[in-house]
Amino acid sequence: MKRSFPVVVSATIVTALSVSLSAQWPLYPKLGIPKGADGKPNLRAAAPRTPDGKPDLSGIWMRTNRTEAPGTAPAGQPPLATFGDIGYGFKEGLPYRPLAVDLVKKRVGALDNPDALCLPQGPLEYHLDPQPREIIQLPQKIVIVYESNYGIRTIYTDGRRLPPQGEPQPYWHGYSVGRWDGDTLVVESNNFRGALTGQPGDGWLDGKGDPFTEALRLTERFRRVNFGQLQIDVTIDDPKAYTRPFTVRVEQEIVADGSEMIEFICHENQKFLQLTGRAPAP
Amino acid sequence: MKIKAVVVLAGISLLLAARPVVAHHSFTAEFDANKPIKLTGAVTKFEWTNPHAWIYIDAKDETGTVTNWGFELAAASGLMRSGWTRFSLKPGDVVTIEGTQAKNGSKNANAQTVIVASTGRKLFAGANDQAQQP
Repeated sequence: MKRSFPVVVSATIVTALSVSLSAQWPLYPKLGIPKGADGKPNLRAAAPRTPDGKPDLSGIWMRTNRTEAPGTAPAGQPPLATFGDIGYGFKEGLPYRPLAVDLVKKRVGALDNPDALCLPQGPLEYHLDPQPREIIQLPQKIVIVYESNYGIRTIYTDGRRLPPQGEPQPYWHGYSVGRWDGDTLVVESNNFRGALTGQPGDGWLDGKGDPFTEALRLTERFRRVNFGQLQIDVTIDDPKAYTRPFTVRVEQEIVADGSEMIEFICHENQKFLQLTGRAPAP
Repeated sequence: MKIKAVVVLAGISLLLAARPVVAHHSFTAEFDANKPIKLTGAVTKFEWTNPHAWIYIDAKDETGTVTNWGFELAAASGLMRSGWTRFSLKPGDVVTIEGTQAKNGSKNANAQTVIVASTGRKLFAGANDQAQQP
């Protein structure tokens, strides 16, 4: 027994290091990670479920870096969105109305990107940011904490309906309700602050500045494909900015190495306004 | 030489193992990709902060004039996932930094690589990693 202890400790350390050479802070092994016959994590095992039998989306998720050339999404699948350009996968581009064309032109240079201004990220930005996000699934609601800019969303799953637009007030992240369609969580959101406010940071879907207006009706379909993979199909329905609804796909993978979310206070050392000539240097 | 090659390979492996570093801001709004810069100098300050960490160095030009330059790195949180810590650099460490100058003409730049002179260790800076943007 005495001899086996250091061996086990050493093996644990080696395993931890091999999983994440980069992590420099204490790793707390995640509980409940399925193991294969070889004893290694099996991230392709079935998705976990909550006591009521629904898939449990809880976990810390990183977006994958996979991209697809425009027009190459497999038949029947929405094109993959990228952080910088959600329309990248569409050979013919997004179905802009003139309002959207004008806004995208004005946004060249991305000076008012909410992400850059330390404001709440737009839909798709928070799904695709290279920093992780944590989904906390509770019986009556799901909370998502986005590490980048410390965004927090609540998705009510208690059966309530969406409020009328503008009540009680438009939100940066909109108002979200979720329901289960088989094993897929369908989240619908409205009541967004949109580009028509004219305020810096309002109405950005991505880093390029593809816009949305107050008319946005957002539908996200979350499917935990297996233990390690999450797929989110996002439909943008905004008749003021686009001629038709369109859908893009986001892929995320579970963080299983024991690393955690890291505090991110965006205004801690913000120099974007100085470097772009909109605030005096200290 | 063999040892050097091993060190370089180990460095590359570490870089490959690291997670993508985060780009927070619009690179093109702040920096001019056509104005590369490479400076060597002693670290005067290392700000371990978000949304970006910053390194300041005193760099001497060919006339011997010393100028303090600031270099933007990725977010501290992203650097942490790539193997940096807030102790990776300290005032007095001599570094060579390659990057891209600020558009506004100030003595600031966006760092792409940071090499520590005493060890030859290359620290991935990654502030220009517009990751996933094809």
